[in-house]
Amino acid sequence: MIEVHNLSKKIADVQALDQLSFSAGDGKITGLLGPNGAGKTTCLRTLFNLLDADDGWAKVDGINVKESPLKAKQSLGLFPDPFGLYERLSPREYIQYFAELNGLASSAASAACDEVIERLQMSDIADRRCKGFSQGQRMKTALAQAIVHKPQNIVLDEPTRGLDVMSTRTLRDLLLALKADGHCILFSSHVMQEVSALCDEVVVMAAGRAIAQGSPAELCERTGQDSLEEAFISLIGSDEGIAA
Amino acid sequence: MAAWIKIYKKEMKDAIRDRRSVMAALSYSIGTPLIMCILFIAMIDKFSSPSALYLTIENSQQAPELMRHLQSKDIFSKDALPEGKSAKAITLTIDDGYLYAMQHGELATLSITADFSNDNLRSSIRRLQRELRSFSREVAALRLIVRGVSPEVIRVLDVQAKDTAKPEAKGGFIIGVAIFMMIYAVFISGMNLAIDTSAGERERNSLALMLSLPIRVSDLVVGKLLAVSSFALFGLCMILLVSKIAYAYVPWQELGANVIIDGRFALYMLLFSFPLALLAASMQLFVSFMAKTFKEAQSYLTIVLILPMGMAMVTGYDIGPDMLRWLPVSGQQKALMEVVKGNALPWDSLLMATAITLLLTGLLVGALMKLLSSEKTVFSL
Repeated sequence: MIEVHNLSKKIADVQALDQLSFSAGDGKITGLLGPNGAGKTTCLRTLFNLLDADDGWAKVDGINVKESPLKAKQSLGLFPDPFGLYERLSPREYIQYFAELNGLASSAASAACDEVIERLQMSDIADRRCKGFSQGQRMKTALAQAIVHKPQNIVLDEPTRGLDVMSTRTLRDLLLALKADGHCILFSSHVMQEVSALCDEVVVMAAGRAIAQGSPAELCERTGQDSLEEAFISLIGSDEGIAA
Repeated sequence: MAAWIKIYKKEMKDAIRDRRSVMAALSYSIGTPLIMCILFIAMIDKFSSPSALYLTIENSQQAPELMRHLQSKDIFSKDALPEGKSAKAITLTIDDGYLYAMQHGELATLSITADFSNDNLRSSIRRLQRELRSFSREVAALRLIVRGVSPEVIRVLDVQAKDTAKPEAKGGFIIGVAIFMMIYAVFISGMNLAIDTSAGERERNSLALMLSLPIRVSDLVVGKLLAVSSFALFGLCMILLVSKIAYAYVPWQELGANVIIDGRFALYMLLFSFPLALLAASMQLFVSFMAKTFKEAQSYLTIVLILPMGMAMVTGYDIGPDMLRWLPVSGQQKALMEVVKGNALPWDSLLMATAITLLLTGLLVGALMKLLSSEKTVFSL
């Protein structure tokens, strides 16, 4: 469960977050949908206490991120954009490293690593060094890193950027499976298709604010539009920075 | 297992696979002793066996005795220049009245014409003047004897220099340079890794990911610091090993210095340099974390590395103030020079230099932690 309340953050002269409030529940996929520059990445960074909010709070499973960052981060997994792989390590070494840093003991990390490699069907690349990997292989490695320690909350920043159809489907299937297991999944995106295909809840963001939150059907109903895309445009009043 | 140990292990594994980091550590450690070896041997050739000196001598027939004296000291007229040799642009002119003056016990005149500001001629001019003075003294002594006066009359002081230096203590500058080149390995060997693990981490976009993990910033800093220090010490071990082999070929006795790398010296070197490795690593990490890219960090560090180089140079030439022995790099270098010279260790200054080294390291580690906790640095805001 991730809750954000009245979060504000000014970076230089830009009000990146402006009293942003929303919540992402367990067993749900929640999408942060907004045009480029809406403050999605800033919001995710604040969730990990990488940015210090000027006002408001963020809680992960009821734990205030600013007050107990280490404890809050223990139940978070991050799929970053860009992936941040270590090219001289193999996916197995990379995933194991992150599993251990997330608090798993060496043997438990090793078992968790095997499990996630199996789950993402990446045994064929698991022991090759990451250098020269395709975008799909990189995505799988980064995703494995984010979920290896089975965090209750998984945060994904623009996860489908640059992925081909097969990789996008792998990612989508995994997110649905994680949702079925009761995890809270929050991802940021500006790709309409991806959000409407996956999300139970959509938080529409513009200029650092949450303009509306609800299921895609609710948002369509509220705006009197047929599709999420039309609903979105009607909510933010522009289609700038949005990919269909 | 503590997080910093996991980070250390990963950093080491990553670095050992990075050919650039390994080559950076090895190339200095292997190359430098070999270059120093060649340099020292060249110095011996230059200083210990001066070659024959050829110059222009005008009116030499006036001074046959002087010519014989100079020839016995390997100084010749350019008329006798063998093929392949070159004469120096120095002219010794013997006055027309030289022979007469000599025969009548009067003051004979000679002149040396050369560009006295020319560095290449300076030692040759000095050598010629020295030999002329010695000839002059010999003739003067003979003139006094002829007049029934003992030459001892014009000798007032009999200065006898008694050198108490141990044979291994001579050639302080050479010892200083040799030791500094070893200490400097600590600064060079870990540099590439320091950049890769900081500015490189930022360039790969993995820094923010690392900071989003449930680990303390101090664990991250300590893990990285120890990895860079390990590489620095690895470079030091390598340079000790290669120097031990290479320096065996330097004829030290001819240089008047001796750099013996035995177990005792190696132990002291590693012991004294350990705090320096930590200082070098923290300094390099601090500077590199402020840079946004690998290349930017490289240019910053090139400038920063002039500092230890300068301190060591000043210590080697012995031109710095006495307080240098209390400071990092120069303090350790001075202590190691005493080890080589076989003297007692200057414990007071060594301990103070070590304490200052560790204090600076602590300050830099604190600054690093602050840097990595700052969103401005992490995201270059």
